[in-house]
Amino acid sequence: MNPLIPTPDTLPVSWGYFQSLLMLMFPLHLLLMNAMLGCAALSLYALMKGGETDKRLAHELAKALPFLIAFAINFGVAALLFLQVIYGNFFYASSVLMAVFWLSVPLILLIAYYAAYLYDFRFAALEAGGKWLAAMVLAIFLAVAFFFTNNMTLMLEPHRWTAYFRNPGGTVLNAGSAAMWPRYLHFVTGGLAMGGLFVALYGRFKGRRDPELGARAVGLGMNLFTGLTLLQILIGLWFLVSLPSTVMRLFLGDSGTATVLFAVGVTLALAALGAGFKRRVVLSATLAIPLVFVMTFLRDVVRSGYLEPFFSPETLRVAPEYSPLLLFVVTLMAGVATIVWMLRKTALINRNGV
Amino acid sequence: MNYPVWYLPGIGGGLLVAIIAIVHVFISHFAVGGGLYLVFAERKGIREKSRAILEFTRSHAKFFLLMTVVAGGVTGVAIWFIISLVHPGATSLLIHIFVFGWATEWVFFLVEIIAIFVYFYTFGKMDDRTHQAIGWIYFLAAWFSLFLINGIIDFMLAPGFWLEHPSFWSGFFNPVFWPSLLFRTAVACMFAGVYAFLTTAFLKDEATRRSMTGFSGKWVLVSYVAAIPCGIWYYASIPSQARALIAGSSPTIQRALLAGFWSLVVLAVLTLILVIGKPARLSRPLALFVFLSAFVFMGAFEWSREAARRPYVINGLMYSNGILLAEVPMLQRSGFLPVARWATQKELHEESLMDAGRELFIFQCYACHTIGGVNNDILARTKGMSYPAMRGYLRKLHENRYFMPPFAGNDAEARALAVFIVKGLQGKEVAEGAGISGGAGRTLFESECAACHDEEHIRSRTAGWDRARIRKGLDKLSALNPGMPDFSGSEDEKGLLADFIVSLNRPQKGASAAGRDHGEEVFEANCSMCHTLRGGGNPLLPKVAGWDRQRIRQALDMLDKLRGGVMPPLNAPPADKDALTAFLVAAQQGGSK
Repeated sequence: MNPLIPTPDTLPVSWGYFQSLLMLMFPLHLLLMNAMLGCAALSLYALMKGGETDKRLAHELAKALPFLIAFAINFGVAALLFLQVIYGNFFYASSVLMAVFWLSVPLILLIAYYAAYLYDFRFAALEAGGKWLAAMVLAIFLAVAFFFTNNMTLMLEPHRWTAYFRNPGGTVLNAGSAAMWPRYLHFVTGGLAMGGLFVALYGRFKGRRDPELGARAVGLGMNLFTGLTLLQILIGLWFLVSLPSTVMRLFLGDSGTATVLFAVGVTLALAALGAGFKRRVVLSATLAIPLVFVMTFLRDVVRSGYLEPFFSPETLRVAPEYSPLLLFVVTLMAGVATIVWMLRKTALINRNGV
Repeated sequence: MNYPVWYLPGIGGGLLVAIIAIVHVFISHFAVGGGLYLVFAERKGIREKSRAILEFTRSHAKFFLLMTVVAGGVTGVAIWFIISLVHPGATSLLIHIFVFGWATEWVFFLVEIIAIFVYFYTFGKMDDRTHQAIGWIYFLAAWFSLFLINGIIDFMLAPGFWLEHPSFWSGFFNPVFWPSLLFRTAVACMFAGVYAFLTTAFLKDEATRRSMTGFSGKWVLVSYVAAIPCGIWYYASIPSQARALIAGSSPTIQRALLAGFWSLVVLAVLTLILVIGKPARLSRPLALFVFLSAFVFMGAFEWSREAARRPYVINGLMYSNGILLAEVPMLQRSGFLPVARWATQKELHEESLMDAGRELFIFQCYACHTIGGVNNDILARTKGMSYPAMRGYLRKLHENRYFMPPFAGNDAEARALAVFIVKGLQGKEVAEGAGISGGAGRTLFESECAACHDEEHIRSRTAGWDRARIRKGLDKLSALNPGMPDFSGSEDEKGLLADFIVSLNRPQKGASAAGRDHGEEVFEANCSMCHTLRGGGNPLLPKVAGWDRQRIRQALDMLDKLRGGVMPPLNAPPADKDALTAFLVAAQQGGSK
């Protein structure tokens, strides 16, 4: 047992509830975050290409960006909440070690968020400045991902926490960890690929009104999706072999569930790639969205594998109290119903063109 | 002691929390009241069939969206990040106790975002009734967010019944919940008007500007008046110790309250000028100053609320430094460092005393004290303290100053911390053996008074006072200043302290001369049989060369322990020892033969 690992606090209900919520919220966050990353990257690319259709596409994606940021943050909050309930004692410790970078996350995100609004609202007036703005937004997203990967790996490697004793000022990164870089590249490549797919879907939807723009979005989006998913085969393999052997072997037969999940994930990825090459946008998305869920489960297997020597959520103490859970479930149902009502009213306007 | 400490000695985590929290709270209250304002402004536009008012509402909704969803939302996340970095133990507790409260608040956060997007982007495109309903949905979601966060924040100030019967509900509906909710709702509506002044000030159409400035002014003034009884109820509901800190025991809160009071006065006066005069040219600077005074008020309120919780981060449960109240007796018995997960100095050794003291400082003091920073600088606070004074001070930290946590460690650790502060930070000599009990008035002054007062301050405040008046004042310090804790020393100690304070106002030259005359007598009576000052067989001055007054005075209390114990103890009253010290110091400076 590593003596630095803090003692966890007591849960109000069994950890399984939080695990289920985490496994629901995190992939939703990922999908939104991927769409956000893809929109920023392809908007920048289209703007740099500079053709009339490309400019229009860049602007359309710029309009989507602030919404995607808002919801990516919102679902990120939910995922981070449930992560902290189960793994808080690991997560807070690693966060303190890299406090300066960790605190910079919301601060630079705020800059990116306002920049995205500026990019949207002043798109025409910005001209060349728009490229720099979009590039900055994209760079901030990549930096945020880098800090997240650092924290998410550092929390799993308590043996690396001794770096604190040389540097208590909060500027420790986990760059020396074997798995950090391949993991970062794996997530960013996957995120951009899924972002490309989102842009393609957006193009398919937009194409009904503006076929030229739609076709360009589908073309760019699917190129990004297929190209990066091919690259992902190499990066994914690198990530797999960079894992500690005990963790890696979980996917290669040591754990039945992990092995099956891994096989399903690889199959879904290859199928989505095949559909991508055939420009079957909806089919690719239909395969890739469950793939993100499967990848989230695989990621969770990796986390459990790393923490297995020190921690298992089953050991967390529970002082049962179910009424607050009920409050959450009822509010969630009422909230979803309200959201559906509002969106239906909005859709009605768009349909009627009021 | 469960978690590592993010150590930025010159800045301090508390200041970072305060900056982010104040900015967020200033925006998030606007996010609640401003939503209701939008609904009513739109209704006003519809009823008066005014396109100008509706256009104003739309443009204010855009400002509202950019301010609350972007800055409000992200600074809310930033607060969560910063408290988990500065108070990881407390954050973990709050997350675990109230996880479904946070989760429910997240649902409202989601509804809020979607509602305000729909509200803004469908403005003028949706039928009035439905559009206003969307506005109401936004407001209700925002208010329920406040409802939930309010319960959790107030739990930190007043856990109330939870301490005996821990449950989500007993913590959530704590003694401060309802008054705080009403107070914050009133403040939120006030801020709706304050922020709206910024938009109205930029209206080009004069009639609309006047109309909406008046409308916004009513929001400010009505809410302002409503906030007063709510604030009084709030104040009456908080724990008595927190009330005492606000009432005067805490100098930092006094400063914040003063700033808050004047900002409210400025806010009211400027709002009245805006509402009654509706000055065209001055409306922008006035709106800006109203905005700034509202910000200062919010900052003062949040600062006071946080500071009034001291010495706790969660009242009655966890101290500001993350140590649980329940753990303190065990830590005082068995020691802190062996069980502090992130401490490296598990055992105390003379050669590593300073390192151990430094770790104790980081884990127990740094939560509130910076080293050389703007916030609660430990260097300034301990400047006037000697080592024995610091030792005595650490023993009675919480008793003498309620808002400081007790030192949670054993006596050897207290010694290490005192060495670190006095020698490591202040660069003063550390002499063991000179205790507080029976010590001189100066030592008492340093341990009891020097954390807040330097000698010059006390000298000027007591100029013209005779000894009897000073002695009487020491019986009831809180009568002199409600912020001062009463002195709990014995009658003798009060007498010594009074003598010392009297001596501060004696003419220095005369005092030195008197001290030297009497000191010479003491020297002759007690020392001269073995020592001369200079020359001769056993000169004393070379032995104390380079010693300051304090070290000489301390040595006189422990002569039998010096130089292998060959000297007898000096059996003389403290006043004689003081006089002898003055004589020797003067002799060092060439004042005596």
